[in-house]
Amino acid sequence: MTLLDIKNLNLAMRSFEGETQILHGIDLVIERGEIWGMVGETGSGKSLTGLSVSRLIPAATGRYLAGSIHFEGRDLLTTDERAMRSLRGRRIGMIFQDPTTNLNPVFTIGTQLVDVALHAGHADPSILRLSSNASGRERKKAARRVAIEMLDKVGIPNAAARIDDYPHQFSGGMRQRVLIAMAMIGKPDLLIADEPTTALDVSVQAQILKLIHDLVAERNIGVLMITHNLGVVAQICSHVAVMYRGRILERGPVGDVLKRPAHAYTQALLNAIPTVHTKRGELRGIGDIMQEISR
Amino acid sequence: MLFYAVRRLVLLVPMLIGLTMLVFVIARLLPGDPVALAAGPNATPDVIESVRHEFGLDRSLPMQYWTYLTGLLHGDWGVSIFTRRPVFEDIMTFLPATLELVAAAMLIAIVVGIPLGLAAAVYRNGFIDYLTRTVALGGIAMPRFFLGLILQLLFVSWLDILPLSGRFPLIEIPPEGPTGFYTIDSILAGDWYSLSLALQHLALPAFAMSLSPLATIMRMMRASTIEVLQQDFVMTERALGISNGKILFKYVLKNAMTSTLTVIGLYVSWLLGGTVLVETVFDWPGLGLYATQAILSQDFMPVIGVTLVIAVIYLLSMLVVDLLYGVFNPRVRYA
Amino acid sequence: MTTTPSTLPKRDQSARLENWSRAFYRFRQSWLSVIGLAIVVALILIAIFAPVIVPFPDHVAGGTNTAARFTPPGSQYWFGTNALGQDVFSLVLVGSQVSLFSGLAVVLSAIVVGGLVGAIAGYFGGWIDEILMRITDLLLTIPSLILAMAVAAALGTGVFNMIVAISITWWPAYARLVRGEVIGKKEEQFIVAARALGAGWPRILGRHILPNIMSPIIVKASLDMGFAVLTVASLGFVGIGVKPPTPEWGTLLSVARADMPDYWWTAVCPGCAIFLAVLGFNLLGDGLRDVMDPKARR
Repeated sequence: MTLLDIKNLNLAMRSFEGETQILHGIDLVIERGEIWGMVGETGSGKSLTGLSVSRLIPAATGRYLAGSIHFEGRDLLTTDERAMRSLRGRRIGMIFQDPTTNLNPVFTIGTQLVDVALHAGHADPSILRLSSNASGRERKKAARRVAIEMLDKVGIPNAAARIDDYPHQFSGGMRQRVLIAMAMIGKPDLLIADEPTTALDVSVQAQILKLIHDLVAERNIGVLMITHNLGVVAQICSHVAVMYRGRILERGPVGDVLKRPAHAYTQALLNAIPTVHTKRGELRGIGDIMQEISR
Repeated sequence: MLFYAVRRLVLLVPMLIGLTMLVFVIARLLPGDPVALAAGPNATPDVIESVRHEFGLDRSLPMQYWTYLTGLLHGDWGVSIFTRRPVFEDIMTFLPATLELVAAAMLIAIVVGIPLGLAAAVYRNGFIDYLTRTVALGGIAMPRFFLGLILQLLFVSWLDILPLSGRFPLIEIPPEGPTGFYTIDSILAGDWYSLSLALQHLALPAFAMSLSPLATIMRMMRASTIEVLQQDFVMTERALGISNGKILFKYVLKNAMTSTLTVIGLYVSWLLGGTVLVETVFDWPGLGLYATQAILSQDFMPVIGVTLVIAVIYLLSMLVVDLLYGVFNPRVRYA
Repeated sequence: MTTTPSTLPKRDQSARLENWSRAFYRFRQSWLSVIGLAIVVALILIAIFAPVIVPFPDHVAGGTNTAARFTPPGSQYWFGTNALGQDVFSLVLVGSQVSLFSGLAVVLSAIVVGGLVGAIAGYFGGWIDEILMRITDLLLTIPSLILAMAVAAALGTGVFNMIVAISITWWPAYARLVRGEVIGKKEEQFIVAARALGAGWPRILGRHILPNIMSPIIVKASLDMGFAVLTVASLGFVGIGVKPPTPEWGTLLSVARADMPDYWWTAVCPGCAIFLAVLGFNLLGDGLRDVMDPKARR
């Protein structure tokens, strides 16, 4: 069965100035084992697409005008909040951009990991490797054990001791590993990663990407990787979708799109990447090019 | 953390010496002759001189200070000209009443203020939010002594369900115990009749006193909860399926408590210094009334004593707040 | 240097004007601030015109009318009369003078003394800072109401003595505020430049630093006004401060307390006056803070 099937998604957001349509008919299909890169400039709607899949856009401000999001055949837009919550952290994992602000600063990473593990274990006791009639204390113990294993897996050295440390005691790269562990501890089938490496420096970026790549390969899950960095896409994605102003302009296997971009905007994005051959003063923005295209 | 606490306690010593010096100097610089007052209007110059000598007021200021400071350490806080009793004894008599009142007021303010502030933040711009914001605005502007009078009018004169003033009925024997708090002592003794009497007397003054800290705590709690709710980690917690209740009462609450804690600490001293007003309205036999009487009769030693006791409690409560701060916020380093 | 455009200062002024109009717009956005402003303006007008508009001017001057003592509120005496047969409403109207005037005087003298101490401590630093700030910190630990009561009682009754007594306990807070602001500003480029041009410290502090730290001081002062009015009334209530026949809200309330609960109206009018005045200044202060110090917005 198809893992994720977004069809004709239309989203409008309300603000003080009134309602504006943000997403105009997004179509996207993600199968297991695929890593989809979603690229586009700030405000193009790529993050809101990711949040829509987890149904994390507040009902007070966001309204879906049309479309559907099918996750393993079930339409998420018509799923109630309770059922949605049992999917989050268990079937769908999420990683956000800034590892310094996405961990709660006043709790140990262990507390936060254990709570996610307990939640996932509630929906599926096999994650804690317990039978469904285990006591609360057994669950907690098991959740902690699973958390340590997960920390170990994402490459936190000496995980059993560091689980009781607070976020500020970790470096930025280590914190992002902790967040990946939190997202993966429920053994999700779909991982949504919203700019997971943007806040990290380049050498750490590569390590984190490799970690995500390896976890995906091992567990055969689908990934929606939201980024504005085509370098990241080239490094780890199998497919790419290019977004612009709430529309997907172009999509396909990464090799095809990056080597033979069909759309002028994709071409412009690729040209905007400076190389060693770029002369001084030759850096180009996208804005002027898009004006030419829309003319 | 223990080391930090000990160091802070040691650092209190020079602070206290400076404090005694400052208070002493202020007291002596003020005009007014307590000796003449104590000796009475018909006293001859000779009598006044002998009274002056009796209280050591005929020596130089540094000498007087030195005598006072060494006396303090021996528990000799001077003698009240007005009550003719040692100041230390007087203070120990009146302090529990004031502390019980302040503790009760703070308890009301915290127990009511924190949940209401939290609710106002969660249901922002809803009914509860408007209600709490109105109460907060009014609560801060309401003079405690006027509120006290209105409460007396309402609950004593019209509804006739609570006693007008005092700490305990004059014809009953108040409970005795180690704490000096009538409520706790009567619980310790298992004396429920005394407890109900003590609570009836405590209710109105404690409520009159609690409104202002309640309003501030509520406001603070609302503001910091709103701020915390907008943090990225709340989104992560939601995205990974943590329930809203757990997010609010576990993850958000602890973050929001840190700034509220500072307000609570500041209010303890503010209430102690301001008990005068509520104690006057309710004839509550505490430090405030004692200090007022001393001030009106220009009696130095009790005023200095009360001031020092309140200042020490203030410094200690700030220390407790700083230590608690570390409990709520692991990033705080005790250096 | 000779090509400096002469239009620059003019543009600066229009930008300032625009800032003001934007600030005023933001202030008007919050209707609570507008209510606060209205209450404060009304209070000031009442204080100024009280002698003209009171219904019973002779009661304010100390005149009594024992035949009409404890008249309940009615058409003749809107808020009733007290034990001496004086019109409570008239007394409260005139009482606004003492409250507003002493509140303002307390805040202003606290700003002057505290500002001077804080500016000197912050600007010179070193041991001067050490000594001044230690004294300030010590004063802050002393319960301010008790200290003010003690000083006021020792100095004797009267409006002036009361203002002095309260001000003594109020300046340390301003000293802390101003010191912090001065330390923040003194290393900035334009101050270093002024010093390089040979300006002396009084000039640097007065002409260059002070205008740049006015906003937080004004915000604090407006928030403090309500509290100052409250403190004045508190001293009056415990029997220290202004003595009758000068009408003062706290004193009126203290006298009325003896006539409770039967003659409750003698207390309600002055009590509500204190509440309204404090509320008005608090609302105004909140509004000003939102406008002038958006960072502190809560």
